Amino acid sequence: MTMDRRSFLKTSALGVAAAAYWLEVPTLARAAEGGALLPLSIRPPNYESIRATFTTRITPLERFYLRNHFDVPKVDAKAWRLSVGGLVEKPLSLSVADLEKLPQAKVEAVLQCAGNGRALMKPRVPGVQWRVGAVGSAEWSGPRLRDVLARARPRDAAAFLGYEGAERPTLPTTPAFIRGIPLEKGLHADTLVALRMNGKPLSAYHGSPARLVVPGWVADDWMKWLTDVQLLAKEPKGFFYETAYRFPVKPGAPGEPIPADQMAPMTRLNVKSIIGSLDDGQVLRAGVHPVVGVAFSGEAGIERVQLSFDGGATWEAAALEGPSTPYGFRVFRHAWKAGAPGRYTVLSRATDSNGATQPEAAVWNPSGYLYNAFDRVEVEVRS
Amino acid sequence: MIPAYLVASLLLGADPAEAKPTAAPADEAALLEGKLPDDPARAVLQAKCLICHSGDYVTRQRLTPAQWLKTVEKMRKFGAPLTDDEVKPLADYLGRHWTVDLPERRPAPVKAPAGALPARGR
Repeated sequence: MTMDRRSFLKTSALGVAAAAYWLEVPTLARAAEGGALLPLSIRPPNYESIRATFTTRITPLERFYLRNHFDVPKVDAKAWRLSVGGLVEKPLSLSVADLEKLPQAKVEAVLQCAGNGRALMKPRVPGVQWRVGAVGSAEWSGPRLRDVLARARPRDAAAFLGYEGAERPTLPTTPAFIRGIPLEKGLHADTLVALRMNGKPLSAYHGSPARLVVPGWVADDWMKWLTDVQLLAKEPKGFFYETAYRFPVKPGAPGEPIPADQMAPMTRLNVKSIIGSLDDGQVLRAGVHPVVGVAFSGEAGIERVQLSFDGGATWEAAALEGPSTPYGFRVFRHAWKAGAPGRYTVLSRATDSNGATQPEAAVWNPSGYLYNAFDRVEVEVRS
Repeated sequence: MIPAYLVASLLLGADPAEAKPTAAPADEAALLEGKLPDDPARAVLQAKCLICHSGDYVTRQRLTPAQWLKTVEKMRKFGAPLTDDEVKPLADYLGRHWTVDLPERRPAPVKAPAGALPARGR
């Protein structure tokens, strides 16, 4: 059910209280003005967004998570070139000015690290210990990748793209970060070579001057500091494609090893919701409180978000802000009547336009990818 | 010249005042602060793991001894210049301290580093 804020206010039995709690939301957001990123590793820079970030459709740049495998490269935008080669009739070397001359497109899309939620996997798994905040949604803009590829005139044998950016590991023995996507996704009208994020030129940490935007797909495909795109007949080679960033074809028992031939490259994100307006350990007065958050899925809209205040025994539907988009956040809001004093487990679960619902438990996998169990916040209500 | 970040990495946790005998429960508070307990393997970690990443990358993990050994072996494949004799003591050191039972301490929120925001005047 789609409802804008006004119609929700009209129809809600809690209209007056609801109007009051909307006023509270900016206050909650302001509470984190001192800093909104949790440094999980200083080098390379890996910073998670705090939970309070997730109350808006677009994530502000200063609150957007940062994820890096290696040191951030120093890229001179004036000297930078994007080369396109491999199975093409006309190899290209393009400057930022060349990309600016192509038709510019915009797409609102969620960028989520495949490992977001890894710290919540049981048993524990190695890697950056992200909880909820290795995700954000932005408006990305720049030329369509397909317009770039068209200038290079792909040959018929091309079926895959392999690409890399300017980042380099500290040691030459560490595998380079090479990734790839099927050519079909690369030719999709929403796949961009983004030059801007939320209307501003990309920052150094977000891939200046150009990064791929692969809407609906895991962030490891969204190459930053993009320097080279190769058109290939088959999937690219390299550790970060052939071994890392793979997900079990079929769920296995948690903690059990999964044979390599049962692991496939990740593509689409799965359906997920995040409660932004409450936090673990928060103490609330009895009364009506806002529960505001975001929900998203890969290449699908959000149809429903439900909340539970009794550990999952019963669920209440949250109102959704519209419109639904195939790749972006959808904000949900609910007026929670917090009654009797005590400890409460608040859960959220989203359902997407394909009918997929967030599960109670995520699929365990050895690297902790695509965690999407119900979101969960523990709060206390006092009289 | 050695890059400043390498110097910083090598110095991380190298404060002689922190050098105390290893005793797991008593060291919990120090572990949660990101300190590296004294041990012959500590120098190996400082010299060979922190070439590529900061100590927090290590100290925020909560893994079983088997997972630590696998991680050390993976890092060695990636080029960490560990000798044959260093692998097991290092994995044992990591597996003894940063266990699945060690509580987590989340870092305090900070502002976005300058490089995360668009450059001025562009």
